[in-house]
Amino acid sequence: MWLVYKKELLEILRDKKTLIFSILLPTIIFPVLFFGIGKFTQSKTQEAEIKELKIAFINGNTFEGLPDLFTAEKHFKKVELESSDYKAEILNDKVDFIIEVPENSEMPSQSRKQELINLYYKGASKLDNISNKRVKDIIEAYNNTERLALGERFNLTTDNVKAFNKPIAVENKNFASERERIGEFAGPLIAYILIALAVSGAMYPALELGVGEKERGTLETLLLTPMTKGKIVLAKFGVIFTASFFTVIVTLLSYFVWTWIFTMGGKMSGLDFLSNISGLDLLLVAVLLVPLTSIFASIMLSASIYAKNMKEAQAYMSPIFMLGFMPVIVAFVPGMELTVKTAMIPITNVALAMKDLVKGTVDYSMIMVLLGSTVVIAGALLYFTTQFFKKEKVLFRS
Amino acid sequence: MIEIKGLSKSFAYDKKEAKKKKNKTATDPREGEGVFHAVRDVSFQCGKGKVLGLLGPNGAGKTTTLRMLSTALEPTAGEILINGHDVTKEPRYAQKLIGFLSGKTGLYHRLTVRENVEYFGRMHGLSKRLMDERIDKIFSMLDMHTFAGKRADDLSTGMMQRASIARAVIHDPKVLVFDEPTTGLDVISAKTVLDFIESYKETEMSVIFSTHHLHEVERLCDEVCLIDLGETKFYGSTQNFASQTPSGNLYDAFLANVNNKEKEVV
Repeated sequence: MWLVYKKELLEILRDKKTLIFSILLPTIIFPVLFFGIGKFTQSKTQEAEIKELKIAFINGNTFEGLPDLFTAEKHFKKVELESSDYKAEILNDKVDFIIEVPENSEMPSQSRKQELINLYYKGASKLDNISNKRVKDIIEAYNNTERLALGERFNLTTDNVKAFNKPIAVENKNFASERERIGEFAGPLIAYILIALAVSGAMYPALELGVGEKERGTLETLLLTPMTKGKIVLAKFGVIFTASFFTVIVTLLSYFVWTWIFTMGGKMSGLDFLSNISGLDLLLVAVLLVPLTSIFASIMLSASIYAKNMKEAQAYMSPIFMLGFMPVIVAFVPGMELTVKTAMIPITNVALAMKDLVKGTVDYSMIMVLLGSTVVIAGALLYFTTQFFKKEKVLFRS
Repeated sequence: MIEIKGLSKSFAYDKKEAKKKKNKTATDPREGEGVFHAVRDVSFQCGKGKVLGLLGPNGAGKTTTLRMLSTALEPTAGEILINGHDVTKEPRYAQKLIGFLSGKTGLYHRLTVRENVEYFGRMHGLSKRLMDERIDKIFSMLDMHTFAGKRADDLSTGMMQRASIARAVIHDPKVLVFDEPTTGLDVISAKTVLDFIESYKETEMSVIFSTHHLHEVERLCDEVCLIDLGETKFYGSTQNFASQTPSGNLYDAFLANVNNKEKEVV
């Protein structure tokens, strides 16, 4: 069996297509794209935060001090309008924002009522929203000053003004740890990525070792050797499992390396968060991948062996891929938790457990239940695959 | 020595096929109730140092018969004996004694020629020393030393077929089964295969050789077994087969045995 295993592994390692899809793509191309896009977005955001914004006022002096608040800011430039066509002025980039105070307006602290200003701008992208927020933050600062001045007019103390502004203030005292809070979001994401990698890592070797052998005519040759069909299929399963598991582990390691490279000298929030996860929990995440990867390896190998040709096999892989992800998505439905019942649902249980392990809220006894049920399912599927491989109808299907 | 006695193989129709056949009157005698009798009571034998030609039109049951000989398929009925050992009861033993080659059997493209041959040698349990000896002998015989280190996907068709022969005989089989080994080959590559089979006539090996090329049968075969619609239509010496028709050639003898039935099959 090891002879077949070693040979299959050697062939897989010499297959450029498998290397590209199982190693190069997840370890280099995806992370570079992922971090590259992240870096690009970050730099664009930073650019928008310090971009000089041209602002014009119409009757701006009505609200005493408001224009000064803008000009006091480093990245704002007060400009005069060349025409009264506000739209043309903005669309032609003569100005970014126009604050128009309507005629007959008064300062709220004088008029004792809410006043209105018109803010003209062009906001379509997320970067425009950043500029918009910068303007509104200054207006909000002016509002705070006016609120206090208004309070004085009514002989109110600062506390009275605060009470008017927000009768009840809520100060959060959240006992959930940072790990739990980040884990709630990151847990499903990590589970999703790991399961996706396990599935994609199994797919190409499964195609190669099943229908690929059929198409090349080497399967029949292999069946004529003294090696039993059971041992042949176990060796093939072993290679698919190894490739899938290896893809997950190598990809994870590559993400750590790329995170380190892209954040060198900066704060590594991703790694900081992961460092909160105990060694045991990380080990359990890896252990959970073992039966899960076995399940996918068995299903994909069976489909690949059954297919008459590569085209048919690829047609089977797409629904397997989708069916594999349905239980993962179910696991992320709010309210879904790892219980004795959900621990029996294959794939969903692993996704739920991974989420809890990342969050640090896992019930370890449930992990045992889950492992038990998943190992039984993985074993049953492997048994089915070996029996399937022994069928003449499957091997010589035409 | 290989003996085939009353060999039969039936395949159950899948649901779709069974439904299709249900309301139709069977025109092919191989069509049974829910099953297709691909091979029906075929018998022949091939002695040491002999070449037996297995003939028949497409779909006659030749490949199914050869797959049963090579243990890939299990017979529904009948016996296959190699040196007195029943292939179905002792498949592992039989696999050590049989070498199989067809026009379709391939090599592992990402392994070199030598790696391919070594792999199958190891599968048959050859020791390193014995394997090196065998490889040296076979590679010299087939003039393969020049491309032994090349990957299989870099080989020409002729080189590929020579490598496939080496792979099939690395374990020194006593029975060689060739299923249309020259199909799709050019004249030079086909000659390599035929020369090899001819050279083995001098050994104690039994060769079963399926082909559509009657000149190959004329050149190599001591006996022929003609199968049509899964049944043996003729079994005897090549000479007797040819003398069945006044012209005395294999071509006419072949047509005389299968012609009408062939039309029915089509």
